[in-house]
Amino acid sequence: MTSFSNPPETSAPAFRRFSFSLRDAGTLIGLVVIMAVFAALVPGFLSERNLVNILQQSSINACLALGMTLVIISGGIDLSVGPTAAISAVITATLLLGGTPIPLAVLAGLGVGVVCGFINGALVAYVGLQPFIVTLGTLSTYRAIALIYTGGNPVLGIPPGFRSLFNGTLFGIPTPVLIVAVVAIAASVLLKKTPIGEYLMAVGGNEEAAYVAGVPIARTKITAYVISGSLAALASLILIGRLGAAEPILGNLWELDAIAAAAIGGASLMGGKGSILGTILGAIILGAMRNGLTLMNVQAFYQLLATGLIILVAMMIDRATRGRE
Amino acid sequence: MMPRLRFETISKSFPGVNALTDVSFEVAPGEIHGLLGENGAGKSTLLRILSGVFRPTSGTVFVDGQAVAFRKPMDAREAGIAMIHQELQQVPHLSVAQNMFLGHSLTRLGGLLVSRREQEARAAEALSMIDDTIDPSAPISSLKVAQRQIVEIGRALLDKARVIAMDEPTSSLTPSEFDRLAEVIARLSASGVSIVYVSHKMDEVFRICQRASVMRDGKLVGMVDLKGTSEKDVIAMMVGRELMREEHNSFVTTTVKLEAKNLSSSSKIKDVSFKLHKGEVLGIAGLVGSGRTELLRLLAGADRLSAGAITIDGKTMNFTSPREAIAAGIGLVPEERKREGIIPLRPVSTNMALASLSSFSSAGMIRTGKLRSTARDLLKRVNLRPFQLDRPIRLFSGGNQQKAIIARWLAARSQILLFDEPTRGIDVGAKSEIYHLIEDLAREGHSIIVVSSELPEVIRLSDRVLVMREGRIAATIPRDQLTESAIVAHAILGARADATNAPIAQPV
Repeated sequence: MTSFSNPPETSAPAFRRFSFSLRDAGTLIGLVVIMAVFAALVPGFLSERNLVNILQQSSINACLALGMTLVIISGGIDLSVGPTAAISAVITATLLLGGTPIPLAVLAGLGVGVVCGFINGALVAYVGLQPFIVTLGTLSTYRAIALIYTGGNPVLGIPPGFRSLFNGTLFGIPTPVLIVAVVAIAASVLLKKTPIGEYLMAVGGNEEAAYVAGVPIARTKITAYVISGSLAALASLILIGRLGAAEPILGNLWELDAIAAAAIGGASLMGGKGSILGTILGAIILGAMRNGLTLMNVQAFYQLLATGLIILVAMMIDRATRGRE
Repeated sequence: MMPRLRFETISKSFPGVNALTDVSFEVAPGEIHGLLGENGAGKSTLLRILSGVFRPTSGTVFVDGQAVAFRKPMDAREAGIAMIHQELQQVPHLSVAQNMFLGHSLTRLGGLLVSRREQEARAAEALSMIDDTIDPSAPISSLKVAQRQIVEIGRALLDKARVIAMDEPTSSLTPSEFDRLAEVIARLSASGVSIVYVSHKMDEVFRICQRASVMRDGKLVGMVDLKGTSEKDVIAMMVGRELMREEHNSFVTTTVKLEAKNLSSSSKIKDVSFKLHKGEVLGIAGLVGSGRTELLRLLAGADRLSAGAITIDGKTMNFTSPREAIAAGIGLVPEERKREGIIPLRPVSTNMALASLSSFSSAGMIRTGKLRSTARDLLKRVNLRPFQLDRPIRLFSGGNQQKAIIARWLAARSQILLFDEPTRGIDVGAKSEIYHLIEDLAREGHSIIVVSSELPEVIRLSDRVLVMREGRIAATIPRDQLTESAIVAHAILGARADATNAPIAQPV
């Protein structure tokens, strides 16, 4: 303690820049630990087939979580992703059954997501309601619309052409995995390379300062919710491609898994901070855990318990390593 | 006499840095002890050790001869140490009284119910020593910064503290409010309370403190008896060099850049008219609450006009958002940097580029190379230190954050710059840099408005000064008649006649 080392200016920033990816590295280590545990407990867990399985099983949650991450970075939350997905699913399925060409039906389904997201965003940005309340309200509203539209019955018999598109493989990789990979890259570019990404972080980081600096607050928030709604719709297309049917109750509690993946990946519910790579890793952590527990024939009750614990442990590790803010 | 407070060889190190090295000094009972140093000198770290936020790496703090080792802020508070922070630590939606009793509410029915009425009575009693115009039942968020600061001081009085540490308590107080604070401090001192007084304002420290400890780079440079020392000597100790007394330079032209015609707003402004010329630095003085900040927010498009018009280069503007004002060439450097200025977690370079991202983008993508080269040029120009473009802005000192916000408007090519308390909470060295920068900008033909509560600052910078009172312009003082007493006279004139409209005004 006798010598005075260099002032913080020279050492801190290098550490700081490093620590941003350090957070992602932490998520990666978490994933590796979980994989190692299951590899030891479950024979064949690390087989190529099962690994692909894990990715496929994680793809829907990852897709939702990417949108959720952007909303959370902007300082909001989107609880309505499940019902948004449900409306999109039943409308797409109905159109397909009515003979609408696949590309048009897909566009319509995504369009539903855009509209649902826009309504959320407009209520937050223009009416000035709190995001939690807005999307809690639309959580019920959108679900009701899906149920009313279908009379509560599933839409069955989705054509094989559509199913092979969203549930097929390309070069041996399941299409949902490829779709989510493309979305993740796009989200990452959006966040790091475009003004919109910078605006999202500015609005979530300090809305008042962003306003004074001329950031288009309303447009930025609405963009986040529209992306979240569209990705929820995309996730629903993946699901009905897999199931061959669209149920109006699909997507129940999806929002919680999506928030969990984003939070495990380093998104701060205070806004202003989050990582696309982290979110993807977070979704895979949750997927790998469920896959492993299922292979071990662990009861669903315990799977729920494990999910809860993993979120809490991840947040505690996060808190402990981050230190004081 | 046993010292009330003694620091003995206090050192504090964080990973990679020694923030404090062997700091030792003592404060007598009832002494008002100044603690001076530039930002980063270690004053805040020392105060955090005193208030139980940090524990020293080595060394001991003694209170009334007893070694204390605080584990949390409440320990320090219970030991009679009160802390008044520069950044207000209050809960906005709670009332003044609730804030003052936060953490140790007065209760009745065996702790079941908070005794709101008694809290308010006791709060009023404590506040009456400093400012009896504050209503203890009003929500904190309805108070101006200066009044909130006064509430904090009232809270320390309530705690019956033996030591009160004040970190820049007057950074938002007007001279008359300071006079009142100085009185209160003198009274506290007479009753045996010791004060550790941290401030950048030399004249204040010299006026109210008997002795001062000067810190630099985490070490104690020396303890001075202020009676036999000049301000200049103390500043030289703080910065390790002498600051030149600087003369005002004027670059004002006759071209009218911006004209305000009969501006009124629902917030406060009533019928304000003035002209701002190219190359001019227009000072705006007045009491806190006289409408200075509100006027700047109107000009910057952050608030709406209810009547009147703003013209820029002869064209009438009708701003509905800061975005439109920015497009018209206006940039606001706000008073509360943390709240309205910075995006804390983002790098200093993107903070700088935030208002002009579209000019750094093509086809919807940010051109990183262009952004970085502009950031390098502009942040070098404002002399950002440390010169690290990727470092999150929250890790910079207040002065360097301010430089980055100024660079933000240079990047946006704003021609009209509005500064609200440009050097609030900024240390002496950076202050002088910001003065030079403002002068340079005027020389280049920018038109500048500076709102400030520090009269020497207004006088140092301004070509002309508008004095505001109760939302109106009370006087326009040209450069050659600019004196502190002239400003003060106009700022408070009439406050005596109508004290209810100027709650903070204190006739002198």
